[in-house]
Amino acid sequence: MPIPYQEHTIYRSIKDLGPHVASRYPYESKFANVNGWRMHYIDEGPRQAPPVLLLHGNPTWGWLWRDTIPPLLAAGYRVIVPDQIGFGLSEHPHTPSAHSLDNHAANLVALIDQLELSGIFFVCHDWGGPTGLSALLTRHERASAVAVMSTWAWREPASDFHRAVMPWLTLHAPLTGPHIMGRQGAFPGRSMYLSVVDRKHMLEDALSAYMSVTPDVGDRRLTWQWPRSIPVNPDTDIAADRFEWLEAGVRDLNIPSTIIWGREEQVFTADVFTPVWHEIWPHAEGTHMVTGNHFLQEDSGAEIGDLLVDFARRNVRITKEA
Amino acid sequence: MPVTRITKRPSDTRSVPVLSDPDVGHYPEFAAFLVETFELAEKPLESPGLLDVDGQVYELIFIGRSGRPFPAAIEIAALVPGLEPMNTDQTDKDLWAIMEWLIEGVGEPWSLEALRTTADIYRVRPPAA
Repeated sequence: MPIPYQEHTIYRSIKDLGPHVASRYPYESKFANVNGWRMHYIDEGPRQAPPVLLLHGNPTWGWLWRDTIPPLLAAGYRVIVPDQIGFGLSEHPHTPSAHSLDNHAANLVALIDQLELSGIFFVCHDWGGPTGLSALLTRHERASAVAVMSTWAWREPASDFHRAVMPWLTLHAPLTGPHIMGRQGAFPGRSMYLSVVDRKHMLEDALSAYMSVTPDVGDRRLTWQWPRSIPVNPDTDIAADRFEWLEAGVRDLNIPSTIIWGREEQVFTADVFTPVWHEIWPHAEGTHMVTGNHFLQEDSGAEIGDLLVDFARRNVRITKEA
Repeated sequence: MPVTRITKRPSDTRSVPVLSDPDVGHYPEFAAFLVETFELAEKPLESPGLLDVDGQVYELIFIGRSGRPFPAAIEIAALVPGLEPMNTDQTDKDLWAIMEWLIEGVGEPWSLEALRTTADIYRVRPPAA
């Protein structure tokens, strides 16, 4: 169902971000109405090919996957990359309740339904994990395989980082979070610069594309609001029940899975997080370690693409509906 | 920069929103500090709280939300004379002073050192702060 304005409005698209972005993310901008919000996505490759759904987190957008996409397309897969509502070229709602974990997961379910995807290979990074895996569990009959990187799907924060007052809880706190991350633009700005291995490359070749889609304070709301869904206090958590459901669901999930992680990851450290994934999914491949901090796609995007292709060739099946 | 609670709203000013947080309930000690400082338990929806930051006054507007403890949300606005433009550089410095006042007031485990170090990591502390 189209949004009434959609037929009469020119929305900003990839080509509007200039040749620096468009030449390296040379795909057609598409828009879908998901739960009343305008979602930007790309959909490349043969329509009948197995779909690979690349899901980003905070504070990124589809651009994060730009080096991962070409190996998948070259191998013949259909590649779909949505910008989560609140980021990228999707609508950036200012209504706080738009940004619940449930609503973001449901937005992905809506996209999957509208595109009538089946046999999906879910690839989840950061908040693309809790949202994408929730969508996967909701449409499990349409899932073919899953890859996770720098993400989690359980209630308790497993990292000292998420329990430390400096910097995490200070970024998470009332007023200081919106001030530092939102008004002052620490996310995606310096936070992304600090969370890659090759910072010179990040500064010169990539960072402006992240910052250009969150230019104003209101555009950056999700950067500080999304982290508030991380359970840290049993008395006040707003998404603890969803995470409990999510963990139970992924533990019951028995589809081909692979784990990819950055060697230099500082937030979701490999030594803490990957053993949990292997405990949850004993059948999972990996962990494939690549050069990379939290935004490992910036340092090893093409290598990640090759790993996904190798895994998909052995594990991704075409369902009857595809 | 000293931050002082005042009770008299300056006349002939307009309210310019500079920072809002739609949900302050996840660390209840923040709301508790503001409830105590501005006596919100007795008169939750009377005049906004007022803070003087080196001569510039800011108002704190406390917002309720069904199903949440009061205040559920907070807006901070600068009270700017008449139709004069707001000095945004000065506002950033003042807001930083309010952040420090807030953290100091809430107390442990929150600390000025953690706030300042976090801001320095992300290079968002105003130069003169």
